[in-house]
Amino acid sequence: MSTATTTGYAAAPVLGDVLPPAKQRGRAMTFVHRHPTIVFGGTLLLIMIMIAILAPYLGTVDPTALAPAKRTREPSALYWFGTDMLGRDVYSRVIYGTRISLIVGFSVAAIASVAGTFIGLISGYIRILDAIVMRVMDGLMSIPSILLAIALMALTRASVQNVVIAISFAEFPRVSRLIRGVVLSLREQPFVEAATASGTRVPMIIIKHILPNTLAPLMVNATFICASAMITEAALSFIGAGTPPIIPSWGNIMAEGRALWQVKPYIVFFPAVFLCVTVLAVNLLGDGLRDALDPRLAKRI
Amino acid sequence: MLAYAARRILATIPVMLVVAFFVFSLLYLAPGDPAAIIAGDQASPEDVERIRASLGLDRPFLVRFGEWLWQIMHGNLGTSIFTNLPVSHMIAQRIEPTLSLMVLTITFSIVVAIPLGVLAAWKHGSWIDRGVMMLAVFGFSVPVFVIGYVLAYVFALQLDWLPVQGFTPISDGVWPFLRHMILPTVALGLVFVALLARITRATMLEVLSQDYVRTAKAKGVDQRSVLFVHALKNAAVPIITVLGIGVALLIGGAVITESVFAIPGLGRLTVDAILRRDYPVIQGVILLFSFVYVLVNLVVDLLYTLFDPRIRY
Repeated sequence: MSTATTTGYAAAPVLGDVLPPAKQRGRAMTFVHRHPTIVFGGTLLLIMIMIAILAPYLGTVDPTALAPAKRTREPSALYWFGTDMLGRDVYSRVIYGTRISLIVGFSVAAIASVAGTFIGLISGYIRILDAIVMRVMDGLMSIPSILLAIALMALTRASVQNVVIAISFAEFPRVSRLIRGVVLSLREQPFVEAATASGTRVPMIIIKHILPNTLAPLMVNATFICASAMITEAALSFIGAGTPPIIPSWGNIMAEGRALWQVKPYIVFFPAVFLCVTVLAVNLLGDGLRDALDPRLAKRI
Repeated sequence: MLAYAARRILATIPVMLVVAFFVFSLLYLAPGDPAAIIAGDQASPEDVERIRASLGLDRPFLVRFGEWLWQIMHGNLGTSIFTNLPVSHMIAQRIEPTLSLMVLTITFSIVVAIPLGVLAAWKHGSWIDRGVMMLAVFGFSVPVFVIGYVLAYVFALQLDWLPVQGFTPISDGVWPFLRHMILPTVALGLVFVALLARITRATMLEVLSQDYVRTAKAKGVDQRSVLFVHALKNAAVPIITVLGIGVALLIGGAVITESVFAIPGLGRLTVDAILRRDYPVIQGVILLFSFVYVLVNLVVDLLYTLFDPRIRY
């Protein structure tokens, strides 16, 4: 502009803005405005993670300490969420329970995603194996996942590790189906054909071209697996086939509160609220991620 | 069509074989040696060996699998370790409550979810739409046993409108039966309602943007007829697909719901069997549930042509 005026052209008269000036928002605010569910879900989840990490500093006592003299106290200033039938502090148990739920949710999401991706890649790339592998996955998927996890738990000793393995086993066939679908459609894409034509080897194509493109659906799917794994863990513990009763998981607290729930509903109520809020947070995060990464994914998952 | 149906039915065989193989491996991998348990503490190693041979436990894995499969196909699901009753007999005794719960839940969910989904799509962007979407996220986030306890606390304990727990067979009268089933049905139905309402809304949104819907509107077909005749019929295929897949969710949920409301169905049977490590019963129930699931999805696949004559095989 300045060059134009110095070379002698008449400056255009300054006109008022036809459109109102665009609102100036910081980048952070723009993100919040565009993806409210990601921000809301993410914040809630972050709070839960902080609770899990800081559990010993949040005014808790030993969640396994028995105090038979102080059984089934109502919530009060001393016992925020009351005490259970063995006199344990429900508040401390619920706060420590956050750890178990998050560990189970995150581990299952990670293990099922990795295992499912591996099987999906093999099935999508090695045609001879495809038919067989997918029939096996179809078979596993036709066993309702809670029943599959229950069946596996019936084989082993109750422990957090076994619960994670059992739930992962029930979840991974769905991931493999998803990844196989993505791989099959990616294989036909021009950029993969170009890579093949220019002599790139199959392992390199998988690492450089296929895997990065599976990340978006995989991530969205992982959040939903995480949410469903936390519910499944609680359900397993609730019917007595989950984590050992000594471990303060939300499912266990509710399972122990069951006998008394008509007279002392708070023992079931508090872990239930924590479970619902955490699962809601992860689900919102997943919904937001799905819409942000690829709206078309909404149909595939 | 017949050729497709035949092919589709044949395709379920490998799937059921995988299920059967998994279920059989379960017993094979189960800790504890059945021969040693039957022989008792006083038995010599020779005795245990003899019993093992008489039970056929010393033969190769695949031979035993084949024989077991043969028995299953003749309706023999084995004998419970705990009660010594045939598993098929135990399942038959417990099937009525579970079947009632599932049929009622599916009916309830369809009646509630499909109008909700249609309404949300029609009033896209309105508070109704947002409300339905929120209900859907909520439905996925609240486990069935939590909803069950909240409902029982409010409607049974506080308001005293409905019984807290239990089951009355339909032969004792329809109203007592329904009174006991209302809370379990609603508790189990919520997640199903969420699933169905979401898919109904999504498919309806797509269908409503089609040319033939615009044509129908333009020639003056009334709103209700456009929504429920023109649009919903065309949205039926994805909805019944999700309905079929959702049955797995329903089966898992039924196991938990029966524990919450003390309903003596297959779910209770499963939970009791796990606590007692009664493997033949666990196997029987898993086989049955998976078979039902595969069957439902087979029927759904075959129904496609009925709902959408454009689909041809």
